[in-house]
Amino acid sequence: MINEIIQTILVISAMLVATVFLIYKFVVSPKRKKATKECGHDDCGC
Amino acid sequence: MSKQINVALIGNPNTGKTSVFNALTGLKQKVSNYPGTTVDKKEGVCKLPRGLKAHIIDLPGTYSLNASSLDENVVVELLLNKTDKNYPDVAVIVTDVENLKRNLLLFTQIKDLRIPTVLVINMADLMKRRGISLNIPLLEEKLNTRIALISTRQNLGIDSLKEIINNYKSISTDPCLDTSRIDPEYFDNLKQAFPNQDLYKLWLVISQDANFGRMSRKTLDIEKFKTKSISELKRLQQKETIKRYQFINSVLKVGQTIDTTKATGLRARLDRILTHKVWGYVIFFVILLTIFQAIYDWATVPMDFIDGAFASLSHWLKTVLPAGIATNLLAEGIVPGLGGILIFIPQIAFLFLFISVLEESGYMSRVVFLMDRVMRRFGLSGKSVVPLISGTACAIPAVMATRNIENWKERLITILVVPFTTCSARLPVYLIIIALVIPEGRFLGLSYQALSLMFLYILGFGSAVFSAFLLDKVLKIQRKSYFVIEMPNYKIPLFRNVLITVVEKTKAFVFGAGKIILAISIILFVLASTGIGRQFNNADYIVRMEVAGENLSEEEIETRIASHKLEHSLIGVAGKAIEPVIQPLGYDWKIGIAIICSFAAREVFVGTLATIYSVGQDDEDTIKNRMKKEINPVSGVPLFNFASGISLLLFYAFAMQCMSTLAIVKKETNSWLWPMAQLVFMTALAYLVALIVYQFLK
Ligand SMILES: Nc1nc2c(ncn2[C@@H]2O[C@H](COP(=O)(O)OP(=O)(O)O)[C@@H](O)[C@H]2O)c(=O)[nH]1
Ligand SMILES: [Mg+2]
Repeated sequence: MINEIIQTILVISAMLVATVFLIYKFVVSPKRKKATKECGHDDCGC
Repeated sequence: MSKQINVALIGNPNTGKTSVFNALTGLKQKVSNYPGTTVDKKEGVCKLPRGLKAHIIDLPGTYSLNASSLDENVVVELLLNKTDKNYPDVAVIVTDVENLKRNLLLFTQIKDLRIPTVLVINMADLMKRRGISLNIPLLEEKLNTRIALISTRQNLGIDSLKEIINNYKSISTDPCLDTSRIDPEYFDNLKQAFPNQDLYKLWLVISQDANFGRMSRKTLDIEKFKTKSISELKRLQQKETIKRYQFINSVLKVGQTIDTTKATGLRARLDRILTHKVWGYVIFFVILLTIFQAIYDWATVPMDFIDGAFASLSHWLKTVLPAGIATNLLAEGIVPGLGGILIFIPQIAFLFLFISVLEESGYMSRVVFLMDRVMRRFGLSGKSVVPLISGTACAIPAVMATRNIENWKERLITILVVPFTTCSARLPVYLIIIALVIPEGRFLGLSYQALSLMFLYILGFGSAVFSAFLLDKVLKIQRKSYFVIEMPNYKIPLFRNVLITVVEKTKAFVFGAGKIILAISIILFVLASTGIGRQFNNADYIVRMEVAGENLSEEEIETRIASHKLEHSLIGVAGKAIEPVIQPLGYDWKIGIAIICSFAAREVFVGTLATIYSVGQDDEDTIKNRMKKEINPVSGVPLFNFASGISLLLFYAFAMQCMSTLAIVKKETNSWLWPMAQLVFMTALAYLVALIVYQFLK
């Protein structure tokens, strides 16, 4: 019983960490980047 | 105050900056990106005599401070910004003894910024052979600085370089050229308007903006000095260059002597063969074939080992940990997910081993020169050849290999089209479907099945080149119209440089894309192993009731249960939900589940079908038989028939079914825009082609 609860908690937290990480990568970090200054005209990475 | 000074390594490309950097820092280095760009930023620490520590940055190669590319711009931006935390206390200009004249241009510009500037003359080992001799004390006097004559290849002079850096405070910061001599009238006006500013810096800011078309800068109000048109400013830049070369010539005339009779003709002879109109291509393709054969052959050994090791690890974890969902997540989700990341390491390492040997030896520049004319027609660069061909092994190292394409547009196009080439993960999918739906006959002695496979490879490469052509027309990114390629001398590769490149690329993949891949595997696993409702939760009971009359072994029952659970899991529900969408392509919900799961990696397709059809995974023959017997519930014909099979083949040929590639594209382009565009466009194309073909053939 205890085992089952612990296992469930572990899985839920892993899922949360993964989701939060992906959301951060997808949504938050690209937005933050926009705030930094624009760059040059041709060979640029933005 | 900490006793750490900032040292910037600056120099023309190929002068040995990275070699000097490696010699100074060893493996104590870190690679990251300049903010908002994908230009490599290498930093490291070096201990100097008497306890001082130097924080060293290896800046991108640049020919002058009149920057025209993003790489060069990084250098200028740093040198103009005194508040940057990396602003150098001392600039070390790395030059190569064979191209001293051209290299000194940058030296004089940086010295004029009044930063203590040390001159490193590298590749001293070549002096004797090339008949070059230098009068170092005289050069030091004329250039008004300290000079270190070194050879990173033979490890000579590094200590004296450290000593000079250590005493950087004694180096004169007087400029080489009086800036106002470039154009007295223009610069006198400038000086009057900004009496407190350094004239040369002002001029750099102005000319920089002229180069980059950026017409505002908050720190300085220089608007009124834009009265000169851009072409006039460019003319002034040329004048500056001429003045500098006059100075350099006068210095080298007394400080350097070259005995031309000693220059060997080996390089010329090699060049004649390696860039020959016919032999050049033949040699290049032989080398390529050898490399890719080697990657396939050598990488499979460690890949099989990693595969086996992770399978045993999963098995072992299941036996020692208490049974439950977290154990399953670990053993069936996380561990295989990690294995799925690490399994790419051998291919990445081998590819970059070869690439860096070719680059270090000087051969790569010849290849780029050869291929450039062909590739340019399709909006690609000569440097796109290697990524495109590496794509047949795996798109991930291929995307990483685009880093040495300096031009952003060409690099972006290469990254965007590489996933079309037939990577090795498509192979298992192709093989099983071809075996199912393509008849066994022969045409002109070649089997239809082999011909189909070859057609799929050609299709992949063709779509890559064709999309490059379209993207070149569509993308509104200006690209430089000229093409300068420097032909460095042939050299035996430095082992340390090769090793560091390999380690760096592998690390970049594991820690960059790896995290995203792992996160998606966890989510996919959880979705596949949780479900709502009676069918999922009581799967065990239901299946056992169903098979009660049949005489099945415990193992067979277990696989039936797994299949039943997958059908009613969240992914199974999703598979059924997309059935209406994929039905016009001739697929059913089982294929739907396999398509969703194979987003983790294409080869998962076969494994997922194996679970759904509840057969042991390795048993290819049984999967094939099960697939053969499947009947399409709508049309009543076999599910895997000629029409749906071809449709599925084409779907996999075009679809972006690979989260690892998306992750690495995100990392390399520094934005989700491009991977998402790839995902949407390629999936739409795949769907459309599969739809048309199925409707036409059925
Ligand atoms: N002969 C010789 N070759 C060198 C020396 N230092 C570097 N090289 C070679 O010069 C090439 C360019 O070196 P690299 O450090 O990548 O230059 P970077 O482009 O300035 O970073 C490589 O092929 C090196 O092996 C040296 O002291 N002697
Ligand atoms: Mg370098």
